[in-house]
Amino acid sequence: MITRQISIATPIFLLIFLIQEALISQFRLPGGGFSILLIFALTWSVLSQPEVAAVIGFAAGILMDLSQSASGPFGQWTLIMLLAGYAISYIGYGDDNIHANAIGIVFFVVAANFFVEIAYLVTGALLGVSTGSIGQIVLTLFGMSIWALLVSPIMLPMFTRLHSLIFDSRSAQ
Amino acid sequence: MRKGGEGRARLLLVILIVTSLFLITLDLRGVKVIEGFKQGTQTVLSPFQRAGAVVLNPVKDFFSDVTHLGRTRGQIKKLEAENADLKIKLLNRKNADGQLQQLESILDLAGTAGYKIVNARVISHGSSQSFSQTITIDAGSNAGIKKNMTVLSQFGLAGVVKDVYPNSALIQLASDPAFKVGARIAGSQQIGILSGRGNRSASLQLLDNSTTVKVGDVLLARGSVANRPFVPGVPLGYVSQVDNSAGAVAQTATIRYYTNFSTLGVVAIVVSGPTSDPGDALVPQKPRVAPVPTVTVTVTPSPTASN
Repeated sequence: MITRQISIATPIFLLIFLIQEALISQFRLPGGGFSILLIFALTWSVLSQPEVAAVIGFAAGILMDLSQSASGPFGQWTLIMLLAGYAISYIGYGDDNIHANAIGIVFFVVAANFFVEIAYLVTGALLGVSTGSIGQIVLTLFGMSIWALLVSPIMLPMFTRLHSLIFDSRSAQ
Repeated sequence: MRKGGEGRARLLLVILIVTSLFLITLDLRGVKVIEGFKQGTQTVLSPFQRAGAVVLNPVKDFFSDVTHLGRTRGQIKKLEAENADLKIKLLNRKNADGQLQQLESILDLAGTAGYKIVNARVISHGSSQSFSQTITIDAGSNAGIKKNMTVLSQFGLAGVVKDVYPNSALIQLASDPAFKVGARIAGSQQIGILSGRGNRSASLQLLDNSTTVKVGDVLLARGSVANRPFVPGVPLGYVSQVDNSAGAVAQTATIRYYTNFSTLGVVAIVVSGPTSDPGDALVPQKPRVAPVPTVTVTVTPSPTASN
Protein backbone atom coordinates (compact mmCIF):
# COMPACT_ATOMS: atom_id res chain seq x y z
CA MET A 1 0.00 0.00 0.00
CA ILE A 2 2.71 2.45 1.07
CA THR A 3 4.88 1.41 -1.90
CA ARG A 4 1.97 2.13 -4.26
CA GLN A 5 1.36 5.53 -2.65
CA ILE A 6 5.01 6.52 -2.84
CA SER A 7 5.44 5.26 -6.41
CA ILE A 8 2.50 7.39 -7.59
CA ALA A 9 3.16 10.45 -5.41
CA THR A 10 6.87 10.77 -6.31
CA PRO A 11 6.41 11.43 -10.05
CA ILE A 12 3.58 13.86 -9.26
CA PHE A 13 5.85 15.84 -6.93
CA LEU A 14 8.65 15.80 -9.52
CA LEU A 15 6.30 16.90 -12.28
CA ILE A 16 5.00 19.82 -10.24
CA PHE A 17 8.57 20.79 -9.32
CA LEU A 18 9.45 20.69 -13.03
CA ILE A 19 6.43 22.83 -13.93
CA GLN A 20 7.43 25.34 -11.26
CA GLU A 21 11.08 25.56 -12.32
CA ALA A 22 10.72 25.29 -16.10
CA LEU A 23 7.46 27.10 -16.79
CA ILE A 24 6.14 29.24 -13.95
CA SER A 25 9.56 30.70 -13.18
CA GLN A 26 9.70 32.01 -16.79
CA PHE A 27 7.13 34.65 -15.88
CA ARG A 28 8.24 37.69 -13.96
CA LEU A 29 4.96 37.92 -12.08
CA PRO A 30 4.14 41.10 -10.18
CA GLY A 31 4.15 40.87 -6.38
CA GLY A 32 6.57 37.95 -6.19
CA GLY A 33 4.36 35.43 -8.00
CA PHE A 34 3.46 32.06 -6.51
CA SER A 35 4.93 28.63 -5.97
CA ILE A 36 2.70 25.88 -7.32
CA LEU A 37 4.73 23.31 -5.37
CA LEU A 38 4.07 25.18 -2.12
CA ILE A 39 0.33 25.43 -2.84
CA PHE A 40 0.21 21.77 -3.87
CA ALA A 41 2.02 20.56 -0.73
CA LEU A 42 -0.15 22.71 1.55
CA THR A 43 -3.36 21.52 -0.11
CA TRP A 44 -2.35 17.88 0.29
CA SER A 45 -1.30 18.54 3.89
CA VAL A 46 -4.73 19.99 4.70
CA LEU A 47 -6.35 16.85 3.29
CA SER A 48 -4.03 14.31 4.94
CA GLN A 49 -3.41 12.84 8.36
CA PRO A 50 -0.76 14.74 10.36
CA GLU A 51 2.03 12.17 9.93
CA VAL A 52 1.36 11.85 6.17
CA ALA A 53 1.24 15.66 5.94
CA ALA A 54 4.65 15.85 7.62
CA VAL A 55 6.09 13.47 5.00
CA ILE A 56 4.44 15.49 2.20
CA GLY A 57 5.90 18.69 3.65
CA PHE A 58 9.30 17.05 3.97
CA ALA A 59 9.30 15.91 0.32
CA ALA A 60 8.11 19.30 -0.95
CA GLY A 61 10.66 21.06 1.25
CA ILE A 62 13.53 18.98 -0.16
CA LEU A 63 12.48 19.93 -3.69
CA MET A 64 12.13 23.60 -2.72
CA ASP A 65 15.63 23.48 -1.23
CA LEU A 66 16.89 22.02 -4.51
CA SER A 67 15.37 24.95 -6.39
CA GLN A 68 17.90 27.42 -7.82
CA SER A 69 16.04 30.30 -6.21
CA ALA A 70 16.36 28.95 -2.65
CA SER A 71 18.66 31.44 -0.96
CA GLY A 72 18.90 29.86 2.48
CA PRO A 73 20.88 26.80 3.57
CA PHE A 74 19.79 23.40 2.26
CA GLY A 75 17.24 22.00 4.69
CA GLN A 76 15.64 25.29 5.69
CA TRP A 77 12.59 24.78 3.47
CA THR A 78 12.54 21.09 4.43
CA LEU A 79 12.26 21.91 8.12
CA ILE A 80 9.67 24.65 7.61
CA MET A 81 7.53 22.63 5.24
CA LEU A 82 7.47 19.49 7.37
CA LEU A 83 6.47 21.49 10.44
CA ALA A 84 3.92 23.48 8.42
CA GLY A 85 2.47 20.32 6.88
CA TYR A 86 2.14 18.66 10.28
CA ALA A 87 0.73 21.78 11.94
CA ILE A 88 -1.99 22.59 9.41
CA SER A 89 -3.03 18.96 9.20
CA TYR A 90 -3.10 18.69 13.02
CA ILE A 91 -5.27 21.81 13.25
CA GLY A 92 -7.63 20.89 10.45
CA TYR A 93 -7.77 17.10 10.40
CA GLY A 94 -11.16 15.65 11.30
CA ASP A 95 -12.85 19.03 11.05
CA ASP A 96 -15.56 18.71 8.42
CA ASN A 97 -15.97 22.48 8.34
CA ILE A 98 -12.62 22.52 6.60
CA HIS A 99 -12.49 19.28 4.62
CA ALA A 100 -16.05 19.30 3.35
CA ASN A 101 -15.79 22.89 2.28
CA ALA A 102 -13.62 24.04 -0.62
CA ILE A 103 -13.59 27.61 0.72
CA GLY A 104 -12.25 26.27 4.02
CA ILE A 105 -9.39 24.48 2.26
CA VAL A 106 -8.53 27.55 0.16
CA PHE A 107 -8.57 29.74 3.27
CA PHE A 108 -6.31 27.27 5.07
CA VAL A 109 -3.89 27.04 2.15
CA VAL A 110 -3.65 30.82 1.71
CA ALA A 111 -3.16 31.40 5.43
CA ALA A 112 -0.58 28.60 5.60
CA ASN A 113 1.20 30.05 2.54
CA PHE A 114 1.47 33.39 4.37
CA PHE A 115 2.71 31.88 7.64
CA VAL A 116 5.18 29.58 5.86
CA GLU A 117 6.76 32.63 4.19
CA ILE A 118 6.88 34.42 7.56
CA ALA A 119 8.54 31.34 9.09
CA TYR A 120 11.05 31.32 6.22
CA LEU A 121 11.86 34.98 6.88
CA VAL A 122 12.28 34.46 10.63
CA THR A 123 14.46 31.34 10.30
CA GLY A 124 16.34 33.04 7.46
CA ALA A 125 17.07 36.00 9.74
CA LEU A 126 18.33 33.60 12.42
CA LEU A 127 20.55 31.84 9.87
CA GLY A 128 21.87 35.13 8.44
CA VAL A 129 20.01 35.20 5.12
CA SER A 130 19.41 38.72 3.75
CA THR A 131 15.79 39.30 2.81
CA GLY A 132 15.53 42.97 1.85
CA SER A 133 13.75 46.01 3.16
CA ILE A 134 10.59 45.82 5.27
CA GLY A 135 8.57 47.48 2.52
CA GLN A 136 9.72 44.98 -0.07
CA ILE A 137 9.00 42.04 2.27
CA VAL A 138 5.49 43.30 3.03
CA LEU A 139 4.85 43.81 -0.67
CA THR A 140 6.10 40.31 -1.53
CA LEU A 141 4.10 38.67 1.28
CA PHE A 142 0.96 40.50 0.21
CA GLY A 143 1.55 39.68 -3.46
CA MET A 144 2.19 36.00 -2.78
CA SER A 145 -0.97 35.73 -0.68
CA ILE A 146 -3.04 37.31 -3.44
CA TRP A 147 -1.52 34.92 -5.97
CA ALA A 148 -2.20 31.95 -3.67
CA LEU A 149 -5.79 33.14 -3.32
CA LEU A 150 -6.15 33.27 -7.11
CA VAL A 151 -4.34 30.03 -7.93
CA SER A 152 -5.57 27.73 -5.12
CA PRO A 153 -9.25 27.58 -6.18
CA ILE A 154 -8.23 26.86 -9.77
CA MET A 155 -5.90 24.03 -8.81
CA LEU A 156 -7.95 22.67 -5.91
CA PRO A 157 -10.14 20.20 -7.90
CA MET A 158 -7.11 18.63 -9.56
CA PHE A 159 -5.06 18.47 -6.35
CA THR A 160 -7.91 16.93 -4.32
CA ARG A 161 -8.61 14.39 -7.08
CA LEU A 162 -4.95 13.35 -7.15
CA HIS A 163 -4.94 13.13 -3.38
CA SER A 164 -8.00 10.90 -3.21
CA LEU A 165 -6.57 8.77 -6.04
CA ILE A 166 -3.41 8.07 -4.06
CA PHE A 167 -4.51 8.16 -0.45
CA ASP A 168 -8.08 6.99 -1.00
CA SER A 169 -9.34 9.48 1.56
CA ARG A 170 -12.06 12.11 1.64
CA SER A 171 -11.64 15.14 -0.53
CA ALA A 172 -13.36 18.45 -0.93
CA GLN A 173 -15.95 18.47 -3.66
CA MET B 1 -5.66 6.73 16.77
CA ARG B 2 -4.17 3.70 18.50
CA LYS B 3 -1.45 4.22 21.08
CA GLY B 4 1.18 2.40 18.98
CA GLY B 5 0.22 4.38 15.88
CA GLU B 6 0.51 7.64 17.79
CA GLY B 7 3.98 6.69 19.00
CA ARG B 8 5.07 5.79 15.47
CA ALA B 9 3.76 9.10 14.14
CA ARG B 10 5.72 11.00 16.77
CA LEU B 11 8.85 9.00 16.03
CA LEU B 12 8.44 9.73 12.30
CA LEU B 13 8.06 13.45 13.00
CA VAL B 14 11.15 13.48 15.20
CA ILE B 15 13.17 11.59 12.56
CA LEU B 16 12.13 14.07 9.86
CA ILE B 17 12.95 17.09 12.04
CA VAL B 18 16.35 15.66 12.92
CA THR B 19 17.01 14.92 9.24
CA SER B 20 16.16 18.53 8.31
CA LEU B 21 18.42 19.92 11.02
CA PHE B 22 21.13 17.51 9.88
CA LEU B 23 20.79 18.82 6.30
CA ILE B 24 20.99 22.44 7.47
CA THR B 25 24.10 21.66 9.52
CA LEU B 26 25.75 19.87 6.60
CA ASP B 27 25.05 22.78 4.27
CA LEU B 28 26.27 25.42 6.73
CA ARG B 29 29.46 23.41 7.19
CA GLY B 30 29.96 23.44 3.40
CA VAL B 31 29.69 19.69 2.78
CA LYS B 32 30.12 19.08 -0.96
CA VAL B 33 27.45 16.35 -1.18
CA ILE B 34 24.66 18.90 -0.75
CA GLU B 35 26.20 21.15 -3.41
CA GLY B 36 26.44 18.11 -5.69
CA PHE B 37 22.72 17.45 -5.24
CA LYS B 38 21.88 21.02 -6.21
CA GLN B 39 24.24 20.93 -9.19
CA GLY B 40 22.76 17.65 -10.38
CA THR B 41 19.24 19.03 -10.11
CA GLN B 42 20.15 22.15 -12.05
CA THR B 43 21.89 20.07 -14.73
CA VAL B 44 18.71 18.02 -15.17
CA LEU B 45 16.46 21.10 -15.07
CA SER B 46 18.36 23.36 -17.49
CA PRO B 47 17.20 21.61 -20.75
CA PHE B 48 13.59 21.88 -19.52
CA GLN B 49 14.09 25.54 -18.60
CA ARG B 50 15.57 26.17 -22.02
CA ALA B 51 12.60 24.49 -23.70
CA GLY B 52 10.23 26.45 -21.45
CA ALA B 53 11.93 29.72 -22.38
CA VAL B 54 11.50 28.95 -26.09
CA VAL B 55 7.85 27.85 -25.76
CA LEU B 56 6.78 30.71 -23.51
CA ASN B 57 8.82 33.38 -25.24
CA PRO B 58 5.89 35.18 -26.92
CA VAL B 59 3.78 35.28 -23.77
CA LYS B 60 6.15 35.47 -20.84
CA ASP B 61 6.12 39.27 -20.69
CA PHE B 62 2.32 39.30 -20.62
CA PHE B 63 1.95 39.96 -16.90
CA SER B 64 4.57 42.70 -16.75
CA ASP B 65 2.93 44.26 -19.82
CA VAL B 66 -0.43 44.20 -18.05
CA THR B 67 1.03 46.05 -15.08
CA HIS B 68 2.38 48.70 -17.47
CA LEU B 69 -0.77 48.82 -19.54
CA GLY B 70 -0.94 52.60 -19.65
CA ARG B 71 2.51 52.80 -21.16
CA THR B 72 1.93 50.09 -23.77
CA ARG B 73 -1.59 51.04 -24.81
CA GLY B 74 -0.36 52.76 -27.95
CA GLN B 75 1.64 49.72 -28.90
CA ILE B 76 -1.33 47.43 -28.23
CA LYS B 77 -3.58 49.53 -30.46
CA LYS B 78 -1.02 49.33 -33.21
CA LEU B 79 -0.76 45.57 -32.86
CA GLU B 80 -4.54 45.17 -32.93
CA ALA B 81 -4.54 46.51 -36.44
CA GLU B 82 -2.41 43.66 -37.69
CA ASN B 83 -3.51 40.15 -38.50
CA ALA B 84 -2.71 37.11 -36.32
CA ASP B 85 0.14 35.77 -38.42
CA LEU B 86 1.88 39.09 -38.53
CA LYS B 87 1.41 39.46 -34.78
CA ILE B 88 3.32 36.26 -34.05
CA LYS B 89 6.03 37.12 -36.58
CA LEU B 90 6.32 40.61 -35.19
CA LEU B 91 6.53 39.37 -31.61
CA ASN B 92 9.30 36.94 -32.51
CA ARG B 93 11.09 39.53 -34.61
CA LYS B 94 10.79 42.19 -31.91
CA ASN B 95 12.17 39.80 -29.36
CA ALA B 96 15.12 38.95 -31.60
CA ASP B 97 15.75 42.63 -32.34
CA GLY B 98 15.55 43.50 -28.66
CA GLN B 99 18.06 40.81 -27.80
CA LEU B 100 20.30 41.94 -30.67
CA GLN B 101 20.13 45.53 -29.46
CA GLN B 102 20.95 44.43 -25.92
CA LEU B 103 23.82 42.35 -27.27
CA GLU B 104 25.21 45.23 -29.35
CA SER B 105 25.12 47.54 -26.35
CA ILE B 106 26.82 44.92 -24.16
CA LEU B 107 29.55 44.42 -26.80
CA ASP B 108 30.07 48.20 -26.98
CA LEU B 109 30.37 48.37 -23.21
CA ALA B 110 32.74 45.43 -23.00
CA GLY B 111 34.79 46.62 -25.98
CA THR B 112 35.31 50.10 -24.53
CA ALA B 113 36.58 48.70 -21.24
CA GLY B 114 38.54 45.80 -22.74
CA TYR B 115 36.55 43.06 -21.02
CA LYS B 116 36.55 39.57 -22.52
CA ILE B 117 32.96 38.35 -22.35
CA VAL B 118 30.75 35.34 -22.97
CA ASN B 119 27.18 36.10 -24.00
CA ALA B 120 24.22 34.14 -22.69
CA ARG B 121 20.45 34.15 -22.86
CA VAL B 122 18.27 34.31 -19.77
CA ILE B 123 16.32 31.05 -19.57
CA SER B 124 14.61 31.43 -16.21
CA HIS B 125 13.80 34.03 -13.58
CA GLY B 126 14.06 32.77 -10.01
CA SER B 127 10.89 32.73 -7.94
CA SER B 128 10.64 35.34 -5.19
CA GLN B 129 9.38 32.75 -2.69
CA SER B 130 12.79 32.88 -1.00
CA PHE B 131 12.97 36.69 -1.17
CA SER B 132 15.97 36.45 -3.50
CA GLN B 133 16.51 37.91 -6.98
CA THR B 134 18.14 35.48 -9.40
CA ILE B 135 18.11 34.48 -13.06
CA THR B 136 19.39 31.39 -14.85
CA ILE B 137 21.37 31.71 -18.09
CA ASP B 138 22.00 29.13 -20.82
CA ALA B 139 25.79 29.08 -20.54
CA GLY B 140 27.84 27.38 -17.84
CA SER B 141 31.24 25.93 -17.07
CA ASN B 142 31.47 24.44 -20.59
CA ALA B 143 31.55 28.02 -21.91
CA GLY B 144 34.30 29.04 -19.49
CA ILE B 145 32.06 30.59 -16.87
CA LYS B 146 33.17 30.33 -13.25
CA LYS B 147 31.72 31.31 -9.93
CA ASN B 148 32.03 34.99 -8.87
CA MET B 149 32.30 36.49 -12.34
CA THR B 150 30.77 39.87 -13.19
CA VAL B 151 27.54 39.80 -15.22
CA LEU B 152 26.74 42.76 -17.49
CA SER B 153 23.57 43.99 -19.08
CA GLN B 154 23.45 46.48 -21.92
CA PHE B 155 23.43 49.35 -19.40
CA GLY B 156 25.93 48.14 -16.83
CA LEU B 157 26.11 45.73 -13.93
CA ALA B 158 23.42 43.04 -13.84
CA GLY B 159 24.80 40.80 -11.10
CA VAL B 160 27.35 38.16 -10.27
CA VAL B 161 27.65 34.43 -11.03
CA LYS B 162 26.50 32.61 -7.92
CA ASP B 163 26.54 28.96 -9.04
CA VAL B 164 27.83 27.29 -12.19
CA TYR B 165 26.57 24.10 -13.81
CA PRO B 166 27.88 22.51 -17.05
CA ASN B 167 25.35 24.20 -19.35
CA SER B 168 23.76 26.84 -17.18
CA ALA B 169 24.59 29.25 -14.39
CA LEU B 170 22.69 30.95 -11.62
CA ILE B 171 23.13 34.73 -11.47
CA GLN B 172 22.52 36.72 -8.32
CA LEU B 173 21.05 39.99 -9.55
CA ALA B 174 22.34 43.29 -8.23
CA SER B 175 18.82 43.90 -6.91
CA ASP B 176 19.09 40.91 -4.54
CA PRO B 177 18.93 42.02 -0.87
CA ALA B 178 22.12 40.06 -0.13
CA PHE B 179 24.04 41.69 -2.99
CA LYS B 180 26.87 44.07 -2.11
CA VAL B 181 29.42 45.79 -4.36
CA GLY B 182 32.17 48.30 -3.74
CA ALA B 183 31.34 51.47 -5.65
CA ARG B 184 33.03 54.75 -6.49
CA ILE B 185 31.51 57.95 -7.72
CA ALA B 186 32.70 58.94 -11.18
CA GLY B 187 34.72 62.12 -11.08
CA SER B 188 35.06 62.66 -7.34
CA GLN B 189 36.31 59.07 -6.77
CA GLN B 190 34.54 58.81 -3.39
CA ILE B 191 34.06 55.20 -2.40
CA GLY B 192 31.24 53.36 -0.70
CA ILE B 193 29.29 50.15 -0.50
CA LEU B 194 26.19 49.56 -2.60
CA SER B 195 23.57 47.10 -1.31
CA GLY B 196 20.56 45.67 -3.15
CA ARG B 197 17.06 46.26 -1.83
CA GLY B 198 14.93 43.77 -3.72
CA ASN B 199 13.97 46.20 -6.48
CA ARG B 200 15.63 48.55 -8.96
CA SER B 201 16.84 50.90 -6.23
CA ALA B 202 19.85 50.28 -4.00
CA SER B 203 21.38 51.96 -1.01
CA LEU B 204 24.84 53.49 -1.02
CA GLN B 205 26.82 53.98 2.15
CA LEU B 206 29.86 56.19 1.77
CA LEU B 207 32.94 55.16 3.71
CA ASP B 208 34.22 58.66 4.36
CA ASN B 209 31.88 60.94 6.33
CA SER B 210 33.67 64.10 5.25
CA THR B 211 32.64 63.72 1.62
CA THR B 212 29.32 64.53 0.05
CA VAL B 213 27.26 63.09 -2.73
CA LYS B 214 24.66 64.80 -4.91
CA VAL B 215 21.69 63.70 -6.97
CA GLY B 216 22.73 62.63 -10.47
CA ASP B 217 26.21 61.43 -9.50
CA VAL B 218 27.16 58.32 -11.48
CA LEU B 219 28.40 55.21 -9.68
CA LEU B 220 30.92 52.72 -11.07
CA ALA B 221 32.14 49.39 -9.71
CA ARG B 222 35.40 49.71 -7.82
CA GLY B 223 36.68 46.31 -8.90
CA SER B 224 37.99 43.37 -6.89
CA VAL B 225 41.32 41.61 -6.49
CA ALA B 226 42.03 39.61 -9.71
CA ASN B 227 38.81 41.11 -11.17
CA ARG B 228 36.55 38.68 -9.29
CA PRO B 229 33.78 39.05 -8.41
CA PHE B 230 33.78 42.55 -9.91
CA VAL B 231 35.75 44.09 -12.74
CA PRO B 232 36.48 47.81 -12.33
CA GLY B 233 34.64 50.57 -14.12
CA VAL B 234 31.26 48.90 -14.72
CA PRO B 235 28.43 51.47 -14.55
CA LEU B 236 26.08 50.69 -11.65
CA GLY B 237 23.55 53.50 -11.48
CA TYR B 238 23.06 57.08 -10.46
CA VAL B 239 22.18 58.84 -7.21
CA SER B 240 18.43 59.46 -7.12
CA GLN B 241 18.14 60.69 -3.54
CA VAL B 242 20.57 61.80 -0.84
CA ASP B 243 19.70 60.90 2.75
CA ASN B 244 20.86 63.69 5.01
CA SER B 245 19.97 62.31 8.42
CA ALA B 246 21.51 64.26 11.27
CA GLY B 247 24.01 62.33 13.38
CA ALA B 248 24.64 59.63 10.76
CA VAL B 249 28.15 58.17 10.87
CA ALA B 250 28.45 58.11 7.10
CA GLN B 251 26.37 59.67 4.37
CA THR B 252 23.91 57.39 2.63
CA ALA B 253 22.07 57.72 -0.67
CA THR B 254 19.49 55.93 -2.74
CA ILE B 255 20.72 54.69 -6.09
CA ARG B 256 18.73 53.86 -9.20
CA TYR B 257 20.34 51.01 -11.16
CA TYR B 258 20.86 51.54 -14.88
CA THR B 259 19.83 47.93 -15.49
CA ASN B 260 16.14 47.12 -15.68
CA PHE B 261 16.15 43.66 -14.11
CA SER B 262 12.68 42.67 -15.27
CA THR B 263 13.55 42.99 -18.97
CA LEU B 264 16.85 41.11 -19.03
CA GLY B 265 16.94 38.93 -22.15
CA VAL B 266 20.64 38.71 -22.93
CA VAL B 267 23.56 39.18 -20.55
CA ALA B 268 27.34 38.97 -20.79
CA ILE B 269 29.67 37.33 -18.32
CA VAL B 270 33.10 38.90 -18.00
CA VAL B 271 35.49 35.95 -18.21
CA SER B 272 38.59 38.11 -18.30
CA GLY B 273 39.00 41.61 -16.91
CA PRO B 274 40.78 44.58 -18.47
CA THR B 275 44.55 44.90 -18.30
CA SER B 276 44.18 48.42 -16.89
CA ASP B 277 41.38 50.14 -15.00
CA PRO B 278 39.09 51.82 -17.57
CA GLY B 279 38.48 54.64 -15.08
CA ASP B 280 35.44 56.72 -15.95
CA ALA B 281 35.41 55.61 -19.62
CA LEU B 282 32.12 53.74 -19.22
CA VAL B 283 30.14 56.55 -17.65
CA PRO B 284 26.94 56.74 -19.72
CA GLN B 285 26.62 59.91 -21.73
CA LYS B 286 23.75 62.17 -20.84
CA PRO B 287 21.17 62.36 -23.61
CA ARG B 288 21.88 65.30 -25.86
CA VAL B 289 19.09 67.62 -26.80
CA ALA B 290 18.88 67.70 -30.59
CA PRO B 291 19.34 71.26 -31.82
CA VAL B 292 16.20 72.72 -33.32
CA PRO B 293 16.98 74.06 -36.78
CA THR B 294 16.32 77.76 -37.12
CA VAL B 295 14.27 78.59 -40.14
CA THR B 296 15.56 81.65 -41.93
CA VAL B 297 13.36 83.23 -44.51
CA THR B 298 15.02 85.53 -46.95
CA VAL B 299 12.78 87.81 -48.90
CA THR B 300 14.12 89.22 -52.10
CA PRO B 301 12.11 92.16 -53.48
CA SER B 302 10.92 91.35 -56.94
CA PRO B 303 11.15 94.09 -59.52
CA THR B 304 7.74 95.62 -60.01
CA ALA B 305 6.61 96.41 -63.46
CA SER B 306 6.59 100.12 -64.13
CA ASN B 307 3.58 101.60 -65.80
